[in-house]
Amino acid sequence: MTTPAEQQTSTPTRPLSMATRVLLFVALAVLLCAALLATMLQNSIEAHFSEQDAGELQAVAHSVLHTLQDPTLGPQQHHASLHQVLTGHHQTYYLVLDVNEKPALSADGADLTPLFNLTRAVEQITPADLVSWQQAEHTYRGAILQGPNGIRIAVAMEMEFHLHYLHLLRWTLWLTIAGAVALILLAAWFGVRQGLLPLRRLSSDIRQISAENLHLRLEPSQVPVELAELVQSFNQMIENLQQGFARLSEFSADIAHELRTPLSNLITQTQVSLSKERTLDEYRELLYSNLEEQERLARMVSDMLWLAKTEHGLHKLQLEPVALASLCQQLFEFFEVIADEKNVQLHYEGPALTINADKLMLQRALSNLLSNAIRHAAASSTVQIKVLPSIAHVEIRVINQGLIIAAEHLPRLFERFYRADPSRQRHSEGAGLGLAMVKSIVELHGAQISACSVLKNGLEPNQAQTEFVLHWPQ
Amino acid sequence: MRLLIVEDELKTGDYLKQGFIEAGFNPTLCRNGLDGHHLAMTEDFDLIILDVMLPDVDGLRIVKALRQAARHTPVLLLSALDTVDDRVRGLELGADDYLVKPFAFNELLARARTLLRRGQLAPQSDRLQAADLVLEVAKRRASRAGKKLNLTPKEFALLELLLRRAGEVLPRTLIASQVWDMNFDSDTNVIDVAVRRLRSKVDDDHALKLIHTVRGMGYKLEVPDDDAC
Repeated sequence: MTTPAEQQTSTPTRPLSMATRVLLFVALAVLLCAALLATMLQNSIEAHFSEQDAGELQAVAHSVLHTLQDPTLGPQQHHASLHQVLTGHHQTYYLVLDVNEKPALSADGADLTPLFNLTRAVEQITPADLVSWQQAEHTYRGAILQGPNGIRIAVAMEMEFHLHYLHLLRWTLWLTIAGAVALILLAAWFGVRQGLLPLRRLSSDIRQISAENLHLRLEPSQVPVELAELVQSFNQMIENLQQGFARLSEFSADIAHELRTPLSNLITQTQVSLSKERTLDEYRELLYSNLEEQERLARMVSDMLWLAKTEHGLHKLQLEPVALASLCQQLFEFFEVIADEKNVQLHYEGPALTINADKLMLQRALSNLLSNAIRHAAASSTVQIKVLPSIAHVEIRVINQGLIIAAEHLPRLFERFYRADPSRQRHSEGAGLGLAMVKSIVELHGAQISACSVLKNGLEPNQAQTEFVLHWPQ
Repeated sequence: MRLLIVEDELKTGDYLKQGFIEAGFNPTLCRNGLDGHHLAMTEDFDLIILDVMLPDVDGLRIVKALRQAARHTPVLLLSALDTVDDRVRGLELGADDYLVKPFAFNELLARARTLLRRGQLAPQSDRLQAADLVLEVAKRRASRAGKKLNLTPKEFALLELLLRRAGEVLPRTLIASQVWDMNFDSDTNVIDVAVRRLRSKVDDDHALKLIHTVRGMGYKLEVPDDDAC
């Protein structure tokens, strides 16, 4: 359990909420796009104005030049004539300098002399030649045209009108952008909220599932396709949990059953013995008998503990190359005596081969399989270990001949306390944990085990060949 | 043989003490780590049996302190913890053996005797004898009353083990481990069958039986009514 303080220190960087993240990205993208668009629009309008202005100024300058060069007009008439020229052009001014840089002619209203300090005369006025300046609280834009005979004509127009328009345009643009961004963010927020709605519904569905109703499942077809996979994984998890729970309760029942019988034997036996005076030998006999039962119980408990540890991954494998042939030889030497008792031959067949395994565990697994095989082998038969290497696996088969194991028992053989033959419930050797231990050892190594039992030609009647097959990863 | 037992669990401590007294040892029982630590550091014992999980000073710390003080008394650890790491930690700190609870008392006794013998460094004799049973280890020859016994190699190893530790009850797990190198608790009756077969070769034709079954505990080789053992 973690205390609130620990939680605070352990989760100092909780990621931003999904909605916030989406909104941030959307806002950033929309702002960038809008800013780009607005800048382009402004530039284009400004360029358009410049072009327009350049064209107009060029026209005015040419008109002025034209008027000056008109031989029919005298100097006095120039002014009046030029006034006419300018009537069509709003707030446009000119100034003509002659060869001696003396002002020869100028329009009323604005003094264009500063323009001569700002730029040079050109043959043709283009938008690039325009310069702007401020004078007496007005902003002008103009250029100088080089006329014949060294005269220069400065033309300029007041820009207030443009500037005012551009100012207004900028404001309108940014207000529109701000409004649009707000609207889009609102829409995105709403979209995200709507998008997360199935998740919220899912979470409330999940909350319904508890240990009591693990049979409930979520319906993958009723969620958006993005969540279908999550729902399936979740269902799988509940499935595993349900199986785990089932196994656990089954297991508890098994333990209770397996422990109850010997315990009640012990208790009854002891109570009966204590009910009256006994001879020393009788007491001794009782203690011995108790001891045997207790040792059996102790072994069962330690085997179960071992299994539980294995299933919780508490056993660390110490992998090393293990030579199968010599390991089996060693096991054969161990089991030789009991095989001999039944006149059972032990036979190993396979190439010299090493596999990666925890030696002690593999020894234990094979020992359980062998002991099982010998126990159920028919008298005077052969128990074999066959090793067959393939590319990815090494197959280790432990084979005996004996009574057939019905197909329905085969997959359950590896369950704890499972016995194919119910009549041999107890007091046959072992606690019914041997094959369960084999399975957990095998699975700990990432290997697999299966069992098969088939009637075969060439065997005694009613005799089947039973094989336990290990697929060991190479 | 002076023995120090440090064990905080009342019942376990009592039965360990009684068991060792009856096996001919002279045990001192100590019920907490602090006193145990003091005794181990100040007095001379032949063997110390330490519970790892003590409420005050844990067993591993006592081992460590002992070894740091260059005291080489053999130490046998008792623990309910049974993972390779736990064992390795205990042994690395300088313990000599490690037994996991719950254990059979005769197994503890057997291991204690092994540790004590290791301390004495008794040379392994080549010729082992009990009554008229003679084992010549190097020649792999066994004979009873001058008559050669036909033993398989494993039977020979089993008999050698029983003879070397004559008078001790050897638990089945110890026999499996020493003779066949099977280091786990197997639920088969291999040991019983093997001993039965060995016994038929060694004892069947003789009135004096040497190999005895100790019910619920194991086997021992003993010359009956021989107090010298």
